[in-house]
Amino acid sequence: MSSKRQDNNDVENPSQVTNIYISDSVINRSNIGNKIETTTESKPKEDVPSDYKKYKGKVLKIKKLRKHFPVKNVWGKNIALVKALDGVDLEIEGGKTFGIVGESGCGKTTLMRTLLRLVEPTSGSVLLSDEITNNKFSSNKLEELTSEELRNFRKQIGVVFQDPMGALNPRMLIKDIVSEPLSIHGKTEGIREKVIWLLNNVGLGEEHLYRYPHEFSGGQRQRIVIARALALDPKILVLDEPTSALDVSVQAQILNLLNDLQKKYDLTYVFISHDLSVIEYMCDRLAVMYLGRVVEEADTEDLFSNPQHPYTRALLSATPSFEKQKEKIMILGDVPSPIVYLDESKAKLATEITEQERLEIKAIEGKGIEYIVRSSLNEHLSLKEVAPSHYARVK
Amino acid sequence: MLEIEDLKTNFNTYDGVVKALNGVNLTIKDGEIFGLVGETGSGKSVTCYSALKLLPKTGEVVGGKIVLNGEDITHASEARLRQIRGGEIGIIFQDPLSALNPVMTVNEQIGEILVLHQDEEIKNLASEKEIPTYKSKKFQASPGVEFTILAFCISFISLFVMLGQFTFSLPFLFLIGMMFLRNYLQRDLPHSALDLMVIDALSRVKLPNPEQIASSYPHELSGGMQQRVMIAMALAGKAKMLIADEPTTALDVTIQAQILQLIKDIQREENMSVLLITHDLGVVAETCEKVAVMYEGKIIEEASVDQIFKNPQHEYTKALIEAIPKGGKERLKVPDIGEPGAI
Repeated sequence: MSSKRQDNNDVENPSQVTNIYISDSVINRSNIGNKIETTTESKPKEDVPSDYKKYKGKVLKIKKLRKHFPVKNVWGKNIALVKALDGVDLEIEGGKTFGIVGESGCGKTTLMRTLLRLVEPTSGSVLLSDEITNNKFSSNKLEELTSEELRNFRKQIGVVFQDPMGALNPRMLIKDIVSEPLSIHGKTEGIREKVIWLLNNVGLGEEHLYRYPHEFSGGQRQRIVIARALALDPKILVLDEPTSALDVSVQAQILNLLNDLQKKYDLTYVFISHDLSVIEYMCDRLAVMYLGRVVEEADTEDLFSNPQHPYTRALLSATPSFEKQKEKIMILGDVPSPIVYLDESKAKLATEITEQERLEIKAIEGKGIEYIVRSSLNEHLSLKEVAPSHYARVK
Repeated sequence: MLEIEDLKTNFNTYDGVVKALNGVNLTIKDGEIFGLVGETGSGKSVTCYSALKLLPKTGEVVGGKIVLNGEDITHASEARLRQIRGGEIGIIFQDPLSALNPVMTVNEQIGEILVLHQDEEIKNLASEKEIPTYKSKKFQASPGVEFTILAFCISFISLFVMLGQFTFSLPFLFLIGMMFLRNYLQRDLPHSALDLMVIDALSRVKLPNPEQIASSYPHELSGGMQQRVMIAMALAGKAKMLIADEPTTALDVTIQAQILQLIKDIQREENMSVLLITHDLGVVAETCEKVAVMYEGKIIEEASVDQIFKNPQHEYTKALIEAIPKGGKERLKVPDIGEPGAI
């Protein structure tokens, strides 16, 4: 109960928080900013309901999740599988930020889609906690929910995609974009107030209601997407590379906004990115994915100070930084194809050094650069606990 | 190598004139990697396009001077500019897949540049080795045509067989036989001089199996390979300077490290100058010797890499460095700047 009262306090006194965004986003950004400031301060916010509840523990448990896409030949016969997810085990804690890193094609986005059941997993399950099911669902397994329950479940998860312009309909007004989830889920009254409240929450204001997406800058568009994702008071927010299309200064604004929203509403974030500096800043716990498997999972500080898997080490050292001259570990060779042929005599993932890798080794020979050959990562090892709550696929 | 003095570029739009560059001064010395950093809309790319006169029709250089190796190219003719582009200055663009032609093989695309800029060397090589200059039978095989002939012949053969007139199908069988015989006889024909130079260009960027890559289309290659092909194309004309416009933005960090290492290696081996345009301060720190920070069409700070990160002078540079997320959980400082692009 006390926590609820605290939330209400937050809502009653939003000017403090919203002012922070405004001071971030629109200092010197001419007249638009001033307008926001005046409107947000004059707007009372108490009437907007908020049933955010503080909760602890694991909200989602992913068990041995697999998603294999079939590859067909001309006659429609399955000849191979793309193992986009190949046995992923994760536990996502409430109120924290869980990061997923990996290069393109490693299965980050497929994992996100399977979490929302936008694609059906081949096997494995996603277990939902009581906070999400509210003990109203027939099962706590995501794949066993009926379509009605699935609709209720999707209310609890908001999604923010990478490219805001692609995620916003260019022919819809901001008012319609942000209120669409509300009307889909049967809310008829107080929509306008709720939309204004949502826009204020992300540092925009009432005067933006009747505009189209193309009239906004990249950072503002991303704010609109975040406002829409928050429309149904979700408990979990899935962020798929939310800042990779933005400049560093705008990225800093969005990250600050996300941190503030998390503190205010105790949201759980699933943060997908390939930018390690962003991940290090945002996340509490982190999973590194490679070819559809989690190769290392640990608390962020642990993972950055003591990386165990060779791929993680290479990834950390490949991130360009200007702070300190760290030892360089180059990763040689091209990303292998995740296609696995059913016919075993056909191409298998090479575990020996390939032609390109031999060339690249020759090129950096004698320069004192440490290197990892990519084909050596193709060996399948099991996940081990190398330190308390630090798992890695190492020998 | 390249000197840009007080360069001013305007874009004429329906809403008025956009002053994209307000007096840019840059000096890139021989054998130097120079970084140009800035946010979207700060004019980094426009600087490089203005220097090479690659601006769209609405853009126009209204003032300033561009000097390449002591030669003023500000008002150079189109013919001279064509020699410079690719011949003296090579360019790499951000997205390799949109910069490469999807309907031409790598061999044809690099060959085009070689014919334009290295024609004499191709002819010398051909006369030296007594091989054909441009065309070889090797890469000329067109599977489309061969497949059409094959399908044509087979349909006629089956038609005549069905009609019971097997003898009429004999000429078509002969045709198929000749086609296979031709391929068999031509399997060991030598490469032309052009092909050899294409293969040489591809092996300079450490691509494995250059013969196979030369005959493939861009979409068949991975992102890192495509960017290597782009670099090979930029270097094919024996350029002494390389302009890289966000060369690694579309790539993963591990591949980015490979490509940056390759650019550094080639720069050192051939003593080239490189102008690296990027928005990532980390990339600059790891690659460049000197760096200039751009903001609203001006260069606001220029220094060596060590200095700029240890002791940034301009407020904007400081803000830009502080906006990068670091390990700690303290709130990020947002640069106190105007709306980008609103000039």
